[in-house]
Amino acid sequence: MDLTYLLLAVVMVFALIATYLAIVERNLVRAVVYSAVQSIAFTLALYLFRAPDIALVYLPITVGIYPAAILFLIKKTEEVEQP
Amino acid sequence: MRKELIVATSLTVTIIVLAYVITLGSGLGPLFNGIRPLAEVYLRTTLNPSQPSFTAMSPEGVTAIVWDYRGLDTLFETAVFYLAIIGAIAIYRGVSEKVRLNGAGVGLSMIVKVVTKVLIPINIAIATSIALHGHLTPGGGFQAGAAMAVIPMILIIAFSRYLLLDLKISKEVALAFRSIGLAGIALTAFVPILIGLLSGVNAYIMQNQLKADASFSLPAYLGDALVSGSLILYNISEYLAVTFGFSMIFLLLSIEEDIVKEQMRGDGVEH
Repeated sequence: MDLTYLLLAVVMVFALIATYLAIVERNLVRAVVYSAVQSIAFTLALYLFRAPDIALVYLPITVGIYPAAILFLIKKTEEVEQP
Repeated sequence: MRKELIVATSLTVTIIVLAYVITLGSGLGPLFNGIRPLAEVYLRTTLNPSQPSFTAMSPEGVTAIVWDYRGLDTLFETAVFYLAIIGAIAIYRGVSEKVRLNGAGVGLSMIVKVVTKVLIPINIAIATSIALHGHLTPGGGFQAGAAMAVIPMILIIAFSRYLLLDLKISKEVALAFRSIGLAGIALTAFVPILIGLLSGVNAYIMQNQLKADASFSLPAYLGDALVSGSLILYNISEYLAVTFGFSMIFLLLSIEEDIVKEQMRGDGVEH
C-alpha cells in the first residue's frame, strides 16, 4: 500500500509538471503533446486507484483521439498562440 | 516570468488543497479503506445464481452496473455521444470527402508506415478482446470502440486520408456501420418486450435476468461460455457504433481546409 502511495505521488508530480508546461507553452502543437503526457500520468494514477475500466477508456481518448482532433483544429487555424 | 510563477503556484496550491480535502478533511476519507455498503450490495449480487432476481450474471461489476443495474443512464449517455457526432456531421454537410488534391497523400516515411502495419493487427486484437470480454474483465463497448477508433486515426496520419478512401471506408460506410451498432443497442433493449408480448409473459425494457414479477431472462450461458445475457450484445453493438462514429469524425476532420472552403463557397450558401 505504501508503494501505491509512492507511485501515485510520482505520477502526479509528472502530471503537474506536464500541466504546467502545457499551460505556459506558446506553440500549440507542443502544448498538445504535453497534455498527452499529463494524460499518460493520469492513466497510471487511475490504474493505481483500482479503476481499470476508466484507465482503459482514458488512455485512447486522451492520448489518441483528443490530441488528434485538437491537432486537426490547430492545422486549420494557427500554430503559435499570439500574446 | 510572472505569468509562469502564477500558473505554477496556483496549480500546486490547487493540488495540495484537493489532496488535503480528500484524505485528511471530511471528504472521501482515507483511500482503500475497505468496501462501502453500496459497493458490497453490487459485489454480492453481480454474479450470484442463488439470487436470480438480483444478479446480472457477470463477474465484472462495472459492466453489470453500466448496462444492467443502471442501463438507462448508459442509453442516454450513448444518445448524447451520437448527438455530438450528428452535430459534427451537420457542420460538414454538403462537403464530399472524395475530392482529392493533386500531389497530396504521400504520408510519412517508410519506417512509420511499416511500424503502423505491424501495430494495427495488435490494436484490432486488443480492441476486440476488450469488447468481447467486456462482461468478464475490465472494459466494455465504449473502451473497445475508443481503442479501435485509434486505427483510422493512425492510418490517416501515417498514410494519409486517401488510403481510407482507397479501402472504400467512406463517410457513408461508417454511417451504415454506426447505424447497425445503434440498431443493435435498441434491439437488445426491446427484445425482452417483444419476446414477452409474443409469449404472454411479463417483461421490461432493458431486462437482462429475471425479476420478481417477470420470469423472462436472457441466456447467461452460451454452451459453457458465460455471456451474461444482454451485456455481451450491448458491448458488441456499442463497440461497432463508437468505432465507426469516431472514424466518421476523423474522415471529416481530415479533409483539407481548402477543399472544405471551396465546396462550401461553391454551394453559394452564406455562413
